[in-house]
Amino acid sequence: MANSKFMATVSPHLHEKGQTIDRAMRDVLIALTPAALWAIIVFGFNAFLVMLVSIVTAMLTEVVMRWILGRKATLKDLSAVLTGLFLAFLLPVTTPLWVVAIGSFLAVGVAKELFGGLGKNIFNPALFGRVALMISPLWIYTAKFVEPFWWRGIGFFSPIHTSINNAVSGRVIYKTFTGGVVNATTSATPLSLLKSGKMLTNTVTGPTPVGATWLTSNGRPSGWSLFLGLKSGSLGEVSVLLLLVGACYLLYRRTIDWRIPVGVLGGALFIFLITWNHPLYQMLSGGIWLGALYMATDWVSSPVSRRAKWIYAVGIGVFIGLVRLYSPWPEGVAISILIWNVLTLLLDRYVAVPKFGEVKKPLFNRLPAFPKPKPIRVEEKA
Amino acid sequence: MSKQGFKTFKGGIHPPYNKELASGKAITRAPVPAELVIPLNQHIGAPNEPLVSPGDRVTVGQKIGGTDAFVSAPVHSSVAGTVKAIEDRPSFTGQIAKSVVITADAEQPAFEGKPSKPLGELTADDIREIAKEAGLVGMGGAAFPTHVKLSPPKDKPVDTVIINAAECEPFLTCDHRTMLERPSDLVEGLKLLMKAVGAKKGIIGIEANKMDAVDTVRSHVSAEPTIEVDVCDVKYPEGSEKQLIWALTGRKVPPGKLPSEVGCLVQNVGTAVALFEAATMGKPLYERVLTVSGQGIKEPANLRVLVGTPASVLVEAAGGMVSGAAKLIMGGPMTGWAQEDDTASVVKGTSGIVALPPELVDVRDEHACVRCGKCVDVCPMTLMPNFIVDSVQKEEWEKAELWGAVDCFECGCCSFTCPAYIPHVDYVRKAKAEIAALKKR
Ligand code: SF4
Ligand code: SF4
Repeated sequence: MANSKFMATVSPHLHEKGQTIDRAMRDVLIALTPAALWAIIVFGFNAFLVMLVSIVTAMLTEVVMRWILGRKATLKDLSAVLTGLFLAFLLPVTTPLWVVAIGSFLAVGVAKELFGGLGKNIFNPALFGRVALMISPLWIYTAKFVEPFWWRGIGFFSPIHTSINNAVSGRVIYKTFTGGVVNATTSATPLSLLKSGKMLTNTVTGPTPVGATWLTSNGRPSGWSLFLGLKSGSLGEVSVLLLLVGACYLLYRRTIDWRIPVGVLGGALFIFLITWNHPLYQMLSGGIWLGALYMATDWVSSPVSRRAKWIYAVGIGVFIGLVRLYSPWPEGVAISILIWNVLTLLLDRYVAVPKFGEVKKPLFNRLPAFPKPKPIRVEEKA
Repeated sequence: MSKQGFKTFKGGIHPPYNKELASGKAITRAPVPAELVIPLNQHIGAPNEPLVSPGDRVTVGQKIGGTDAFVSAPVHSSVAGTVKAIEDRPSFTGQIAKSVVITADAEQPAFEGKPSKPLGELTADDIREIAKEAGLVGMGGAAFPTHVKLSPPKDKPVDTVIINAAECEPFLTCDHRTMLERPSDLVEGLKLLMKAVGAKKGIIGIEANKMDAVDTVRSHVSAEPTIEVDVCDVKYPEGSEKQLIWALTGRKVPPGKLPSEVGCLVQNVGTAVALFEAATMGKPLYERVLTVSGQGIKEPANLRVLVGTPASVLVEAAGGMVSGAAKLIMGGPMTGWAQEDDTASVVKGTSGIVALPPELVDVRDEHACVRCGKCVDVCPMTLMPNFIVDSVQKEEWEKAELWGAVDCFECGCCSFTCPAYIPHVDYVRKAKAEIAALKKR
């Protein structure tokens, strides 16, 4: 028989079918689709523009940055697309498109590529981009929210354009190009309503455009409208229901680990329960579901072992609770996750996973030797 | 225990098994090749010296390599013929191995068995001696000398002998066929093993995808109160020593320790049968049953093969290779060695030859680890495969050890499931070599 040449690679010689980075990214994109469509319905065509600009900028940034840094192009792993969409999900529909582009550039260009590319980034890139905008002078463009279905009577396709009236007082005027003024300053997010002290009652007024109960008598959304997504907020966070639907798909595909959302939601719920601070309203408002299901579960910026994942997840949940209750900010999802992204470095290093059959089950890995002696094998070569 | 009540362990994976390709094929005898290449060292332990010279005549079962060291196993000629050369040949691992090259006679005499004591009269020492003389090694792949395993330290008595009949590697069916075709020899072999170490209990652990073998073997142990047949979950690597012991007895062998630490001895189906043959007719281990399978093989088969037979002869015996086969593997597809060509010869530990078509070969460039944690979740030793890789890349050998490089038994679950296509086993081997070198100093 002829000595035909075969491929000689190291074992194992089989690979799990479809277990690839691209597939995981595609799964998340599929999971986010219902929430993205809903965002467009609720916030109008402008929401689509925000997503589009964010995604396209993310892709361009990746291509250019990788080219500058001399890395291989990796557009087809879809991670840039996903980061772009995530960033859009974190922004209000009123964000000017050029601000969206800057955020997207920061997310992909800085948080991902400058940190070493996918896998080496410490922070969740989209959250990094969002928080970077929040703490920059551009914050003013990303802090105002409009009512759901603001486009009724104005026109679904009316884009929003922005001009700053007085940057110091923080008043931003939103206009459609046809001249109508969008009333953004008066519609606050469910959480800012809570923060400003409006109390929750059960009295319900008026039906919503899709029939569900809409607002409580004191102007705060009802539990159902929070759950279904009839509230103001950033693009992706409005519908808990649709986020859950997508997450079920990801759990089924085992793309995300159930421990993280359960830990985050559990940790936050715990805080709201022991302080008895409107637990249901708190749990249904803001970005907590988007954060727990999609942001905290990001592979790269979360710990790898199950033990460390529990600590990380519950830690995020508790932080969210504490920030919402005891800080000046109404919302704490992004900052809590980013803090735990950094703590992940420590969790990975020091939370011990006992080896099979290990008799002493250590809780922590031993500390590193300071200063670290250089490997001895250097002499060997000499 | 799994939900079906089968014995199991934590971690592991479910590769495509493809057992049906060969599980229905009765064991047949492979042809005697014109030339055999028998590596002198087919075991873990001290190297053998050749006991023959070029030009010598050899007979079937004649010892052709051995040493006085305890941890070693002699090798025997598998044919009657003439020693052509003793030279370095590439082995199935790709490394160079000193081998005895034998030209086989056209007429092959049957092996002449030496009558031995009746089985019932053999003492523990006799059995160890028989195993040693026959050159028995673990036939599941690791090839550790059997008589060494049969001599556990005095302070660690073995109370349970386990026959590893999980056969968890995809494609391989040779143990399955052996159990179906020679159940009583297997049980007799197990009894010899139990006697050699003074064990009171014997367990045959079979994966649930071989229920016909479970039934067959069970019917042969119905009269043996000390032997039981247990059904294990179908999961890879069920047949790893430590995982199997845990699944069957609930005992966990600590890192770096041998099964005798928890009073267990694990032997492979093939080894038990070989011990039986050695004890009843003095037959050394010069042939074994292996599976030639894979979608790249035209007629998958279970063959009784002479040690030293080149892979090409066996592929031919199994109908030849489908054109365009991309990978040829000696051993199973999870732990076996991919071959560059089909010239390497079968050794005592070769459990199969698998040819994979391109559509089953999924080799890609390694991406940076995306920290998904999947490798950590599947590692049956609960190590941190991703951090082992990371430490090796940074040449931090101490850390590689902390993450478990030394405890890794290279099952390949981590790479199987890794979306970044990282070849962990490659890194682990590097780490093991470096750590061993550092410790020696
Ligand atoms: S690290 Fe070693 S023992 Fe663990 S899954 Fe990978 S190859 Fe198997
Ligand atoms: S499976 Fe691969 S990508 Fe995932 S953590 Fe392990 S090494 Fe990294």
